[in-house]
Amino acid sequence: MSGSIEVRGLSRTFHTTVRRPGLLGAVRSLVNPERVAKEAVRDISFEVAAGELLALLGPNGAGKSTTIKMLTGILTPSAGEARVAGVVPYEERERNARNIGAVFGQRTQLWWDLPVRESFAILRDIYEVPKAEHAARLKEFDELLDLSSFWDTRVRHLSLGQRVRSDLAAALLHDPPVVFLDEPTIGMDVVVKEQVREFLRYQVTERGRTVLLTTHDMTEVERLAERVVLINHGRLVLDGSLDEIRRSFGSTWQVRATLADAHADVTALPGIAVLRRDGPQVVFGPDGSEAPTVHQALKAVIERYEVTGVAIDEADLEDVMRAAYVQAGPVAEPVAEGA
Amino acid sequence: MAVLHAWRTARVTPLGELHTPPRITAVLLRLTVQVVLVASLWHGLYANTGTTAGLDVDQAVTYAVLAVLASRLRELDQYAGRDTVLQHMHFGTIVYWYLRPLPPQRYHALRALGEQLYGFVWALAGYGVCLAAGVVQPPVSAAVAGVFALSLVLGQLVLYFVMLVLDQLCFWTVRNNAAMLILIFAQNLLSGVYAPLWFFPDWFLTMSGFLPFQATLSVPLSLYIGRIPLSDAGGQLAIQAVWVVLLALFTRFLWRRAARRVISQGG
Repeated sequence: MSGSIEVRGLSRTFHTTVRRPGLLGAVRSLVNPERVAKEAVRDISFEVAAGELLALLGPNGAGKSTTIKMLTGILTPSAGEARVAGVVPYEERERNARNIGAVFGQRTQLWWDLPVRESFAILRDIYEVPKAEHAARLKEFDELLDLSSFWDTRVRHLSLGQRVRSDLAAALLHDPPVVFLDEPTIGMDVVVKEQVREFLRYQVTERGRTVLLTTHDMTEVERLAERVVLINHGRLVLDGSLDEIRRSFGSTWQVRATLADAHADVTALPGIAVLRRDGPQVVFGPDGSEAPTVHQALKAVIERYEVTGVAIDEADLEDVMRAAYVQAGPVAEPVAEGA
Repeated sequence: MAVLHAWRTARVTPLGELHTPPRITAVLLRLTVQVVLVASLWHGLYANTGTTAGLDVDQAVTYAVLAVLASRLRELDQYAGRDTVLQHMHFGTIVYWYLRPLPPQRYHALRALGEQLYGFVWALAGYGVCLAAGVVQPPVSAAVAGVFALSLVLGQLVLYFVMLVLDQLCFWTVRNNAAMLILIFAQNLLSGVYAPLWFFPDWFLTMSGFLPFQATLSVPLSLYIGRIPLSDAGGQLAIQAVWVVLLALFTRFLWRRAARRVISQGG
């Protein structure tokens, strides 16, 4: 089964009640509620090929989770359409459920009072997975996530890392071609994060699963995603590779040069501005127009001035994303979801 | 049909309880204390009375003790297992109910079935002990026992749907604590757990007749002790069945409406 995701002009508007401030305002809201419409997602289109891992990025309240909820079939869009593994998720919830797995952050789907393995067995029955297949998959997941060291422990006694690993396994036990992960590693330590990343990489490269991942962890994005979709204020801002994002938003380099002559005249170069000067120490940066790459800038500085020392600072992905969020508009207010 | 394969969901409550021995001990202690106190209370009340409200002392004690045992059928601390609709709405995990090929209403029903069967084992064990100890009287005939069993099943179905409405309320209000407190009081009073309804004035019985609560416990227990004769059993069973159908249709409607509310409350 092809695990592709197709999204065409997807929109979702929520209608919420405005809460007026103060006691009088609260009474007025009660007697005469004012309803407003808020567009959480507006005309979003993108595709994810089968076997691809796509990072869906954006600031808090940008519309990422709402998009995922529409793709998992929990929420019906106000306009547009989506297909997940060939199924319209919000029209055929049960059929879609067999094609997808999902983990929503720290929200567990496991049964709190039961050992992890019992939860897996319940899910096996719900998804009608043959016993032999279930056992084989559990063995494979155990090798990758080290589940057996705690799968006889009740869920209520698991650490966060153990629980998220168990939830990842639970989401994939029925072998879904498409997986939705909404901030799966939030709050986890670096060791477990790396283990989870390895697991996800394996699921994509070896098992050919399609993964749609939302995260605020840029290390995760760099290590896992070849392609990202950036949304803000419910709108798609960019759909491309990490390199494309860097090219569009990441020209925030600095060249720090120490001049041989502390009193030399220093002027701007084409596309390069002088940001600061303290005696022989000069800091160059892009002037905001047709900025050269950091390497072109370095070459230009060395050719123009006699320098005794030079260093470059390049923006990491986190800086790039910060620039992308800011340039794409102010950070969005989370949209309260009201039907 | 995922529901046929999902029988294991019915094991969640019994397994959770068995993995927590202190809870089993607490249930045992509570049941023992309640039965002893209730039996003593009704023996005391009848110390100088022969028959009142159409019940003699044996009937009254049997009714009261069976009411304690029957209330055990669905009184488990599901809250501890974090698997109530209330908690799923609070933690935002209700979304998982809608991400599985098993519809939420069937999952809810299977969970309740397992819970009631587990409670039934407790009630049956308690009944056996009380019967052997002479605290309760056996049914007067096999016919009475059969009608009682049928009425008890219908009563538990009514109770399931009443509790389900409360659960479904969470889709609109997130919390149902206040409604639950009211319902627990109403259920205990109007179903005859606190005292057989035969002790209440006529207007109270008339009012109670328009509500589903007496169908949950008062009817089956009154059939058991013979306060409702076998000749009237058909009508009472029919009323219970009507409540089952009405509540089933109503909760089915609410499930459909609730599906549209999943996101707005904690999704």
